[in-house]
Amino acid sequence: MKKSKYMHLLALVPFLVVALLYELIPLLTIIIQSFRPDGGGSFTLENYKTVFSTLLYQSAIINSLKISLISAIFGIIIAFIGAKAANEGQGKLGSFFMAILNMVSNFAGIPLAFAFMILLGSTGVMMNFADKVGFDFIKSFDLYTSNGIAFVYVYFQIPLATLLLIPSFAGVRNEWKEACTILGGGPATFWTKVGIPVLMPSVLGTFSVLFANALAAYATVYALMMSNISLLPVQIAGCYVGEVTTREGLGGALSVVMMIIMVAMIGVTNLLSKRFERGQRK
Amino acid sequence: MKKRNIGPSVIMIILMIYMLIPLVVSIIYSLNEKWTQLLPEGFTTANYVTLAQDSEFIASIGRTLLLCVVPIVITIIIVLLALFVSTAIFPRLEKYVQLICMIPYTIQGVILSVSILTMYVQSPTILSNRLLMLFGAYCIIILPYVYRGIRNGMNAVNMPMLLEAAEMLGCSKIYAFFKVVVPNILSSIIVSSLLAVGIIFGDYVLVRNLDGTAFPNMQIYLYQTMKSDSQKASAVFVVIMLITFLIAAVVLYLQSRQGKGAKSRDKE
Repeated sequence: MKKSKYMHLLALVPFLVVALLYELIPLLTIIIQSFRPDGGGSFTLENYKTVFSTLLYQSAIINSLKISLISAIFGIIIAFIGAKAANEGQGKLGSFFMAILNMVSNFAGIPLAFAFMILLGSTGVMMNFADKVGFDFIKSFDLYTSNGIAFVYVYFQIPLATLLLIPSFAGVRNEWKEACTILGGGPATFWTKVGIPVLMPSVLGTFSVLFANALAAYATVYALMMSNISLLPVQIAGCYVGEVTTREGLGGALSVVMMIIMVAMIGVTNLLSKRFERGQRK
Repeated sequence: MKKRNIGPSVIMIILMIYMLIPLVVSIIYSLNEKWTQLLPEGFTTANYVTLAQDSEFIASIGRTLLLCVVPIVITIIIVLLALFVSTAIFPRLEKYVQLICMIPYTIQGVILSVSILTMYVQSPTILSNRLLMLFGAYCIIILPYVYRGIRNGMNAVNMPMLLEAAEMLGCSKIYAFFKVVVPNILSSIIVSSLLAVGIIFGDYVLVRNLDGTAFPNMQIYLYQTMKSDSQKASAVFVVIMLITFLIAAVVLYLQSRQGKGAKSRDKE
């Protein structure tokens, strides 16, 4: 009997084989490589020194942080307004809105880059329109800069963030609003003193998803800029693909930096949202 | 009262317009000969006709299908087996299985693809086969979604009780799992596979980094076309978005049906 119980472990083998071959071993290897010089040899921190002392990689880290933060902040603010509206306005329009959000949340990668090229590229439809009508402020917009990229990122953050935030609005009870009104508070007081603090854990959780999403996004930016912008994913891919010599140690170090940034952001938002939850329990 | 309800509707309409503009403009663009003035000129379906006759495009659809089917079938089988062991036989293993399934959430495309690439590109074994690397990478990328979908399905059907009942009737555990539990969670399996189809279908990073342009799927085809002919690319774009939205709509429909089913069961 005992023996046949352990026979069942065999069913775990295919899962472990795939996970080890394509997830755990490659990840470990890339971390180990980041501590090795490219020619082979013993432990070194040289790759990390290169990352933090080379202007190109410094700017990759700063640009990535900047674009991810900006797009996550704008995304979450607009999504908050959108989710609040979706929660208040039910009915046909509401379900239509949900359907559109679901559809557009799948709109990413190469197709997204293409649509924005058609719309706002240097000879894009909007640009021609602005030219004819004389809207100089649209004309001065340049898609192929880090601000342009951030603009595209905000676009893909909004549907995702709104979808993630809508369920949490159901937790804001109408009785609380009534209680607040009875005590003499207007809507503004309600939202700053009750609504937003209550929603803060979900807002922070969504924020870290958005941040990670923007940090790792590669296809869109590659399609728009090729390698003409210094962002972490672009530099990482550049170390391995499409160049004559691969620089595995450097790529490994950059990957580790990116993973640390991601984990750090998750950690910070978790910590903050715990503080808000504790505040609620008191 | 009426006035209070207008605000949310206005916000929703503005957001919808904002989200739909890039899509609608691209669709109109694909249906016209040129759009260099204020309005598009010369309605035409020529872009779609040339696309339908392009054997390279048809082949890219086939490749995309292959890339979806193989990793999804593999992942579902290995996750089902692993969950069978870790929930029915050795519950202590559950958290390790969960951990392995959740790690891909944080590594995502670029790092996963380059790490698999450096690992196996110089391997003398079959592991250096680019297509095999790609299949492996896709299995990992969809792992969290498949795991979550199947695990939620198991929670919903009260699996321990089903297994116990089947065992009392004389089934072996593994037989009971595949003959009783799996059919009951079939709808969760279908929903998570469709989600996985959506992910693989939209992927460009993995296929580019692992296969270069040797195995052009629809995304690579779009990328190459948009560099040369934006008219034709806009038709490719519309086809891709149609398929994407269709998958999303089916997922949404199945999920809402599942939700309704669960609710009516609760009422009983």
